Amino acid sequence: MPAVALVVMAVLAAAAPLLHRRLGRNTGYVLAAGFAVTGALLATGAPTVLDGGAVTASWSWLPSLQVSFALRLDGLAALFCLIVLGVGTLIMAYCPRYVGDGGRTGTVYGLLTAFAGAMLGLVLAADLVLLYVFWELTTVCSFFLLATAGRVAVAPARRALLITAAGGLALLVAVVALSVVVGSTDLSTVLAARDEVLASPLAWPIGALIAFAAFTKSAQVPLHSWLPGAMVAMTPVSAYLHAATMVKAGIYLLMRTTPLFAGQPAWSALLVTVGLASAVTGAFLALREHDLKAILAQSTVSQLGLLVAVIGVGTPTALAAAMLHTFAHALFKATLFMLVGVVDKETGSRDIRELSGLRRVMPVTATVTALAALSMAGVPPMLGFVSKEYLFQSLVQADVAPWAGPVAGALAVAASALTFAYGVRIVHGAFGGPVRQPDLYEPSPAFLAPAVVAASAGLLLGPGIAWVRPVVTRAAADVVPAGEVPQFEFWHGLSPEVVMSAITIAVGTALFLRRDPVDRALQRLRLPDGAAVFDRAHDAVLDLGSAVGRPDRSRDLAPHLARPLVALGVLGAVGVAAVGGLPERGPTDRALDWPVLALLVLTVAGTVLARSALAALGLVGVVGLVVAVWFLLAGAVDVALTLLLVEVLTAVVAVLVLRSRPPRLPGSDRPRTVLAAGLAVAAGTGAAAAVYALTGRRGISGAGAWFLDNAEPQTGGTNVVNTVLVDFRGMDTLGEAIVLGAAALGLLVVVARRAPEAAPDRAARGRPDGTGGGLVLQVAARVLVPGMAALSLWLLWRGHDEPGGGFISALVAGTAVGLHQTAHAFPGLPRLLRPTSLVGGGLLLALGTGLFAVVRGEPLLTPVEVPLLGALGIGSALLFDLGVYLLVLALLVTAFDRLGGGPVPAVPGPSSGDHREVAATPDVPSRQGAP
Amino acid sequence: MTAAVAVGVLVAGGVFLVLQRGLLRVVLGFVLLGHAVNVLVLSAGGMQRRDLPLIGQGDPAAAADPLPQAFVLTAIVITFGITVYLLALVRAGDGDEDAGGDAGGDAGGDTGGDGEPDVAGRVPADRTRGAR
Repeated sequence: MPAVALVVMAVLAAAAPLLHRRLGRNTGYVLAAGFAVTGALLATGAPTVLDGGAVTASWSWLPSLQVSFALRLDGLAALFCLIVLGVGTLIMAYCPRYVGDGGRTGTVYGLLTAFAGAMLGLVLAADLVLLYVFWELTTVCSFFLLATAGRVAVAPARRALLITAAGGLALLVAVVALSVVVGSTDLSTVLAARDEVLASPLAWPIGALIAFAAFTKSAQVPLHSWLPGAMVAMTPVSAYLHAATMVKAGIYLLMRTTPLFAGQPAWSALLVTVGLASAVTGAFLALREHDLKAILAQSTVSQLGLLVAVIGVGTPTALAAAMLHTFAHALFKATLFMLVGVVDKETGSRDIRELSGLRRVMPVTATVTALAALSMAGVPPMLGFVSKEYLFQSLVQADVAPWAGPVAGALAVAASALTFAYGVRIVHGAFGGPVRQPDLYEPSPAFLAPAVVAASAGLLLGPGIAWVRPVVTRAAADVVPAGEVPQFEFWHGLSPEVVMSAITIAVGTALFLRRDPVDRALQRLRLPDGAAVFDRAHDAVLDLGSAVGRPDRSRDLAPHLARPLVALGVLGAVGVAAVGGLPERGPTDRALDWPVLALLVLTVAGTVLARSALAALGLVGVVGLVVAVWFLLAGAVDVALTLLLVEVLTAVVAVLVLRSRPPRLPGSDRPRTVLAAGLAVAAGTGAAAAVYALTGRRGISGAGAWFLDNAEPQTGGTNVVNTVLVDFRGMDTLGEAIVLGAAALGLLVVVARRAPEAAPDRAARGRPDGTGGGLVLQVAARVLVPGMAALSLWLLWRGHDEPGGGFISALVAGTAVGLHQTAHAFPGLPRLLRPTSLVGGGLLLALGTGLFAVVRGEPLLTPVEVPLLGALGIGSALLFDLGVYLLVLALLVTAFDRLGGGPVPAVPGPSSGDHREVAATPDVPSRQGAP
Repeated sequence: MTAAVAVGVLVAGGVFLVLQRGLLRVVLGFVLLGHAVNVLVLSAGGMQRRDLPLIGQGDPAAAADPLPQAFVLTAIVITFGITVYLLALVRAGDGDEDAGGDAGGDAGGDTGGDGEPDVAGRVPADRTRGAR
């Protein structure tokens, strides 16, 4: 049944914007009815709950964490459900006459209903994780509801979100810690494990985190600054979220966790201190404000403070008193907000310095406001009087220290006297004094009705406390099962509390009578502005982040690249310190190595020193060739072949890129050169030392030997490297080929296709001066390209047994494409070679081959016999290799297509100015030669 | 020993180039570093056995370790892919990143030591481009 209630709320929330499209602002009445029905639904569980039972429902949610979607309707949950749905019904019935018909109203209705659902979930949750989720949902709903107020709400909404979300994170940490200590996230189990929790070293952090979470949500000093800011939201939102319900979530959390911490001196001291500080501060600030909503916001801080303090006392009476006052506060504060909304709507102002004498033109509004204010001020016979009596009674029992009770009582009286004063101030400010706006009139009964109902409840339930008693008694018994819960009475003799109430009223009256001097004195006070403090802290955090990230925003590449090098150096130093006792080095060098090495040193030195881009490029290519020879000497023929082809292709692509760039490389300043040289020498030495230390000291690796032994028997291939690539480590190869495909697609995005260089103009092809390459190249291409294509396919075919394979053959094919493209001045690609088709086809082929094995019930990429082609000697390995081939080819084709073609920029000459201006226009007839 | 020296030379050259101005040199440095790592991986397989790892050709006991070869082979192709991509970035960045002017100027305060302007009139033109 609790779950049905949540589902109903979710459906209502989703339907609200749709209903709004049909019904406009009157949607509120439908939603009010929906809230009432949900309440009735939950009320069917009342007999069970009042008998001391609970209605539960549970579904498995995160079984691996033993977290369940568990709901539990017990006394405390029932009390809060009553508040959420009761006040919610009234607010929804109030909304239609308050809101406009504008576009945002549907959103507001949806969010308010979603919030009500989240709040119900929060109080019904029987699992701590679920409770946390709903807790955050209320925060999010509150944020979006604030945001509907538009631009003015940006700063307050951010403040509210950051503070309450920080509390939410604290709650999450507390939940995790509790589940670590108790081994369960089930609420009842955790609450029953008081001894375990208190004995663990995490007891203090858990208590502090829970208190922090509650303080943020319930706007306790010094985290209260978000609540007054939240008043930018429309009045129904303020009344519902920021007075009656959401801010009570913190109170609910403290009540729920009372079984864990009640009676702990630190817990009591913290809650009583913070609560009373908030109570007095809030009341003080409320008396200073002139905006009716601001007064009410500060008043909420104050009243919540009293509740926190009383919960801190922790006795059964205190808890029961807190629950009763939570209920009373929801009633009178929501009423006052609704009436402020009425006044605001009718007069266009909320400032008590501008309002005056409304009692004459709006007598009903004035009366209802007075009733609610009296309840807030704790004047008999209102419900607020009864609850405040019990608050006083509980606070004087505070036993943290011998003097704690009297001090707490005195502070509570002080806060309440201030409350009385600002309560009267609200009524007098708006409704007293001379009439200034005589042509106003009473709002429609429909607008006033919800407030009248709530105020009347506050009036009737004081003497009729017996009607509230069962629920509150039951709720208190849930939290303090062992203790004896008092039976609330409207009048319980001439007790000390009555005297305290009398003092409250007397002092409050005096403050009101001397209101002008009091106001002047208060206005002179310079108090720290919580919002400003928060904003400064927020800005400071942003500045800190900016300072920390500044090195990473440098546009120079060197600092970015130097850091990993330095980190690598540190790692190497650690390695040197850690590694010791190396085995003997075997004989690793051959005589032929030395000349190759000498050539390598020369070419690398040449590359480093080259000032011309073309020279540097050529030398890098030569370095690659030397390295390829090195690989050949090391017995890696496939690797050498691959590198050879890659070097050729790299050179071609690099030249294509270089065409549009200055022929000289940029110079460098001396400090940078010295620093770079230093780092380079250090890195080179370190790398050489590491290689010397860590290689050549053992025989062949176990894996290597295994591959040599098993390659042929298992795959039928004799080229072990190729079998490793396509058979044994096919998954790696697939990943690598996909990287190439991704690079191809990246190229398509990064470099836009240049305008085809006079593609339709056949006469332009083969210009001797352009990239057309001339007749010789064209003839060469015509002769060579078919041969290269055939060679490529042959290499692919034999790759399994002899040097070759997908990578190498694709590089050959790519070279052929490059030759053809260069010879014909980049005429664009034939349909067959469209990069996207090649990437897609390659991926599909490689993945499909792999998945074929899965279909047959074997691991991904297991080599299998291909049904028809097997007879021709084509295995799945070849098809897989073909996929790799297509992906590699895709990259090459893309590179030629995107980097080649387009107009060739002129070699910069004295007249060329900004050559890119030339480059930007595709059809400039005169070009000044090619690189 | 020779492998160690080869790796050292390649790393030193690569690091030096990577720390220079201008994306093209960085790309070239990157290529050299790729070579260095490939030589390293191959030498990690052991430089004592250097015969081709082809079954049926030569003495299997002298055949080189095929596993690092497979690693290096794919690494070369991947390095190539990344190099092409980097070169494309060089090309795409033409006009933003040129002649080292902007590459070194993170706050606009980098006026000195910008290298010689290669052609009269180019540097001011680039400056205005970069500032846009």
